[in-house]
Amino acid sequence: MRELTSPRFREIARVKLADARVQRALDESVTRLRDHRLAAWSAEPELEELRRRGHEIRMRVVDDLDGHVARFREAVEARGGTTFLARSAEEATGYVADLCRRRGARLLAKSKSMVSEEIELNEAVEAAGTRVVETDLGEYILQLAGEHPVHIVAPAIEKTREQIAELFSRVEGRRVGDSLEELTAAARRQLRETFLAADVGVSGVNFGVVDTGSICICTNEGNGRMVSTLPKVHVAVMGLERLVPSTADLAVLLRLLGRSGTGQKLTVYTSLITGPRRPGDEDGPEELHVVLLDNGRTNLLRGRYREMLACIRCGACLNVCPVYRKTGGAAYGPVYSGPMGAVLLPLLVGLEQGRDLPHASSLCGACTEACPVQIPLHELLLDLRRDLVEQGVASRLERLSFQLWSLAWSTPLGYRLSTGLARRLQALAPLAGPGRAWASGRTLPRLGRRYRDRRR
Amino acid sequence: MSLVEEFAANAAAAGFTVHRGEPPRIEGAETSTALYGLAESGSVVLSSSQEPRGRSLLPDVHVTLLDEERILPGLAELFEALGDDLPTALSIVTGPSKSADIEQKLAVGVHGPREVHVVLRPPARSG
Amino acid sequence: MPRVQLFVTCLGDLVLPEAAADAERLLRDAGFDVELPERQVCCGQPAFNAGHRAAARRVARGFARAFSRDAPIVAPSGSCATMATHYLPELVGCDPFPVWELSAFLAHHGYEPPQRNAGRKISYHDSCHMLRELHVHDQPRQLLEASGATLAPLPRPDLCCGFGGTFSVRMPEVSLAMGDDKLAGARETGVLVTADPGCLMHLRGRAERTAAGVRVVHLATVLARGLDG
Repeated sequence: MRELTSPRFREIARVKLADARVQRALDESVTRLRDHRLAAWSAEPELEELRRRGHEIRMRVVDDLDGHVARFREAVEARGGTTFLARSAEEATGYVADLCRRRGARLLAKSKSMVSEEIELNEAVEAAGTRVVETDLGEYILQLAGEHPVHIVAPAIEKTREQIAELFSRVEGRRVGDSLEELTAAARRQLRETFLAADVGVSGVNFGVVDTGSICICTNEGNGRMVSTLPKVHVAVMGLERLVPSTADLAVLLRLLGRSGTGQKLTVYTSLITGPRRPGDEDGPEELHVVLLDNGRTNLLRGRYREMLACIRCGACLNVCPVYRKTGGAAYGPVYSGPMGAVLLPLLVGLEQGRDLPHASSLCGACTEACPVQIPLHELLLDLRRDLVEQGVASRLERLSFQLWSLAWSTPLGYRLSTGLARRLQALAPLAGPGRAWASGRTLPRLGRRYRDRRR
Repeated sequence: MSLVEEFAANAAAAGFTVHRGEPPRIEGAETSTALYGLAESGSVVLSSSQEPRGRSLLPDVHVTLLDEERILPGLAELFEALGDDLPTALSIVTGPSKSADIEQKLAVGVHGPREVHVVLRPPARSG
Repeated sequence: MPRVQLFVTCLGDLVLPEAAADAERLLRDAGFDVELPERQVCCGQPAFNAGHRAAARRVARGFARAFSRDAPIVAPSGSCATMATHYLPELVGCDPFPVWELSAFLAHHGYEPPQRNAGRKISYHDSCHMLRELHVHDQPRQLLEASGATLAPLPRPDLCCGFGGTFSVRMPEVSLAMGDDKLAGARETGVLVTADPGCLMHLRGRAERTAAGVRVVHLATVLARGLDG
């Protein structure tokens, strides 16, 4: 499976912290998105009730995931679609690559899908001989630059107009100006050709509706509609948990999604697709394939992390996280980042590989406040820290240190002796361990006479 | 505020040019008839059972004709009205195509129409 | 006179004894008889937030032994008050304790601080636990204004200062960057007031190291002795 976490959070964080341009871009973007959400939320008359309903609807699905997935698949197939339940990334990409081969597909146009990044779909399809073009503007830009998205809703948050003009110019073999109008026109030109020529279109899915066998795709650019309308074959990839039972439930979640992610009531294009083209339809794909991806999600069903499966990938938590604001997404990994990434990734890839992430947080709780479906993100991070200790992933030295500390501080005498010793040895603190890490950027507080002794 | 007024205000805020009665004459524009309108968001609802999906997606300029009587409050009412009878593609459109992926500045007309109009048609007079 | 039990917290006892003294001063001024239960050590939060529950439990039991439930327990710390109120009972398996953060307690009892800060402009930092878990936002501000000070709002009051317990030493670069942003917001007034010893230690330590031009001071000190006291 793809490396979903970055090797060392701190190393990448350091690079991003030192880049003033990245810092400015991150601050401006997350601040704006947060402001938009706050404005939209404050205009919502029954916000807390809406969030509660959103939580309830999503948890209803999670609490009987097997049942909902089975009924969804039946409904999609009853309307002429094909479904495939992929237990792993390899099964998912194998299905799509195989489909491309069988259809002799030369070109695949892709609209935004984090799941497709998670499974590294592009590489698998290209290995099968089909060229892949990303059509989401930010993803297209990053694809041209050979990089990964770093934010759920603003993937190219760190790129400048000059950099983008350079990339577009290379594609056209002539100079493309860096004004917003020229860049937009260039993107439209370049990608329109792609949409019209593509044999297969791949989209993500924001929500699958169980009762009607429909998939809902939300975009602002229109590329979700393009890839699901023009090519003969449409493949929709989704996490298997991204379901809602009915269209009435969909209405609630759509109300939350736009407002929470970008402050919009609805994205410009909210499309509800039910099956491939029918007799009487004048256009649309002949085939619809819905690929449902597990890839570790069902492992979350058993424990206290099941609420994480309610996530609707809106990005609201990223936009309030004080850590994400400084580090950006790459420090977490190439696909999921911010608070939702810090919770989800260790659960998907294992605590050993994801060990940095539960600690990439000051536990400020802003994420939990911002989550439209009331996932207690900061509490789940605390639980993950507990798991790191109790499952032996945290270092022996760390566990021993806390044990010794707790033994010393479990009695007033132990406290007195240990702090008396610490006071005597405090000059040594900056030399190693936490004292050294502290002193790397701050003066150390002085240990003097304890308050309780001064008070006597 | 009536549903029609609410729709007109929100559609304008979303980036539609709102007309009453007569459609604008714009060369090259494609015209669709909406199945419904949604007042809360100022959205038009288009159905693949009535027209090709590409008609509202491909052109540079797009015009939607919307009967005032077909304006509903919002999504909940829309899905209630549709019931189980969903077309292959139900497209809820709220403004022109846009992106903020270039330096977080708003760019219009990235893939879908750059310019969108909605023409409100009052109910036909009886008698 | 009504009694309170003062929970000075480990940081208060070891590192900020002046702030602990100021907290006591305020409580006496507010008309309370202040006890300092001798057996108190720590609420266990440093270990708890780091995932070391067993270690946290051992220390937290000490809290349960040191304090009684027949008089309010007041702490000059939002995070310790949160730990002792919300997490400790379940951790230790005991009944809840009547714990208050200092400013919430004083405001609840209608305390009017002496006018020691007339004409002074200050910035106030909400510590995360106090803001999001105790929902204590207005009380410290009201008390500071009642003492004569004018509050200049920080640009992003919702943003964490970067302390976060062990976060400050596990991810020091990010922690420091967050601290720098918080201090930059307070340069306008040059005075940053906080009700949490953890935040204070981190921000003051950073301000001193970088000569940030910001004096970081505990809420209790500002109210009890004034900025020039």
